Amino acid sequence: MTYLQQPELQDSLNQLLLASRPRLERVLRHFEIPPEDAEDILQDAQLTLLYKWEQIRSPESWLVGTLKKKCIMYWRKRRSSLCDAVDTAILDLVATPVAPDQEKAELSFDLNRVLGNLSARCRSLLKLRYGLGYGPSEVAEQMGYRLSSIRKVTNRCLAALTRQLVAVGFHREPQDD
Amino acid sequence: MFERHPTADRLASFGRAKLSRQQNREVVRHLLTGCERCARALAAHALPGLGGAPGPRPGDYDAAFAKARQSFLWSQQEHLDEQQNALALLQALESHPFDRQVLLLMNSRRFWTWPLCCLLLDRCHELGFKDPGRALDFARLGVRLSEQLSVEAYGDRRIADLKARTWAALANAQRIDADFRAAEQSFLRSERSLRKGTGDPLEKARVLLLKASLSSDQRRFPEAIKLLDRVLVIARRNGDEPLVGKALIKKGIVYGISGRTDEAIDCLRLGVRGVDPKSEPRLVVAARHNLIVYLIEGGQLQEAVTLLDATRPLYEEMGDRMNLIRLQWLEGKIAQSRGRLSDAEALFRSVGAALAEQGLGYDAALLALDLAGVYARQGRTEEMRALAAEMLPSFQARQVHREALAALIVFQKAAQMDRVTLGLVQELSDYLRQCRKNPGVRFRDSI
Repeated sequence: MTYLQQPELQDSLNQLLLASRPRLERVLRHFEIPPEDAEDILQDAQLTLLYKWEQIRSPESWLVGTLKKKCIMYWRKRRSSLCDAVDTAILDLVATPVAPDQEKAELSFDLNRVLGNLSARCRSLLKLRYGLGYGPSEVAEQMGYRLSSIRKVTNRCLAALTRQLVAVGFHREPQDD
Repeated sequence: MFERHPTADRLASFGRAKLSRQQNREVVRHLLTGCERCARALAAHALPGLGGAPGPRPGDYDAAFAKARQSFLWSQQEHLDEQQNALALLQALESHPFDRQVLLLMNSRRFWTWPLCCLLLDRCHELGFKDPGRALDFARLGVRLSEQLSVEAYGDRRIADLKARTWAALANAQRIDADFRAAEQSFLRSERSLRKGTGDPLEKARVLLLKASLSSDQRRFPEAIKLLDRVLVIARRNGDEPLVGKALIKKGIVYGISGRTDEAIDCLRLGVRGVDPKSEPRLVVAARHNLIVYLIEGGQLQEAVTLLDATRPLYEEMGDRMNLIRLQWLEGKIAQSRGRLSDAEALFRSVGAALAEQGLGYDAALLALDLAGVYARQGRTEEMRALAAEMLPSFQARQVHREALAALIVFQKAAQMDRVTLGLVQELSDYLRQCRKNPGVRFRDSI
């Protein structure tokens, strides 16, 4: 391993970080990363650069590419956490055993209204999941999916449901099937 | 409960999935009622591109850059200190036998550093073909060390990348040691670690590059080419020219072994241009060496000679005995192709003596066949018979595998009957090259 000498390495790294800042900032803005979360993402990319320095041939491109990837991962993770939160909450709501009849009826009405704005496929899938309490393998069997692909389909439907709830109110989504 | 609008803070926390289960349920129940106001407020905190809030403005990231820089400088100093100590740690480690090295690595925290792990992998790479046994030891130490590294200090995903690298190095050392099954298992471990890593595509490309060598040694040439094409795509997309060069060189070598000389020449020509001889002298010499061999085989003698002349200083610079023997062997092949048969014979004899001295039985067999080619062209049946008679016992003593010995017996019988032709010599030579790591290939099957 032909390490650079300490001052030489420090200079190279510091110059790189200064020179690449405008490009890095553009990436953060493009991906609309909340400023309070940008520090962690930047730090992670820069530390990886530090540890892999000897292997990286084009450090600025590598850093920008890595930051892009981390931004994508950031939103993917947030989207997935939000979908999980929505899913868990609805499963909890429909499973509450002691809810009065009127509350149950209202919940069912509201849920059906939201599901009514989703594609037919997602509507059927989520009705089985929330309305009839089907597990993934039962949903797969009922809808003719392979067990290996039901998770992906369910995640897509949960994402559509979450989008409905958090962003567009109850305007009808384009039907995809 | 759900008629009340959640507060802005609560909506923001919901958007980040940071609420308790109960709070979560309340917010979702409220949203299910169809509250557009809350849905729109939430969009500002939840996901981008949903028309919620305006995007960040210039200056919004100043604090993030300043804090990230501060923490980077701190880590940088730590890393540089570790780097400075790594060599001393390696020397301390190397002064012990392997078992003790493992014990030290497992029990002594001072060895648990990232740069030491990288140094172990470098040693493994350097020793690769020169001393496969020690290369294996270094790879094993690298794997052990990567298991000890602190997640707090280096980050779990970065450590997973390094683990992938150590397993790939071990797999490569096992491949060189001809333990293909173990190498396959180690590559599986490497790929498993990659999946838990940072997702750095270049890290993946380097693993695939090594894996391609295994596929090639297992004679799965289409698979090797496919892997190398993936490496090329990743390397080009990421502007890593040396990696492009390496992948092309390896692709050329795979084509060469599989008998596709024209493609081999094209890939090697392109590949050697991309790799800097100063940073990768060994690879450049190996690539040019193979290119010269294929040029000779393809009858492009002039280019082979020019390239050999240009490469001679590199062979000499490398200085190691094996490379100088290979250089002389090439000179013999060129002399033979140019019809300077007595020069070729003298060079081959000198190479033969050097190979015997090094105990390289298999290479000596290949060399003897080049010499047989000279005799065949000169019609020197007496010498051919003597050569064939010398070859067999010498290979039996060196434990050359059964199928190769059977092929040599065919050669010996042909020599005894004065029936050795240039065609037979070439056929046998091709066979011995092909079955070097695949003893299962039968002589006539290989053609």
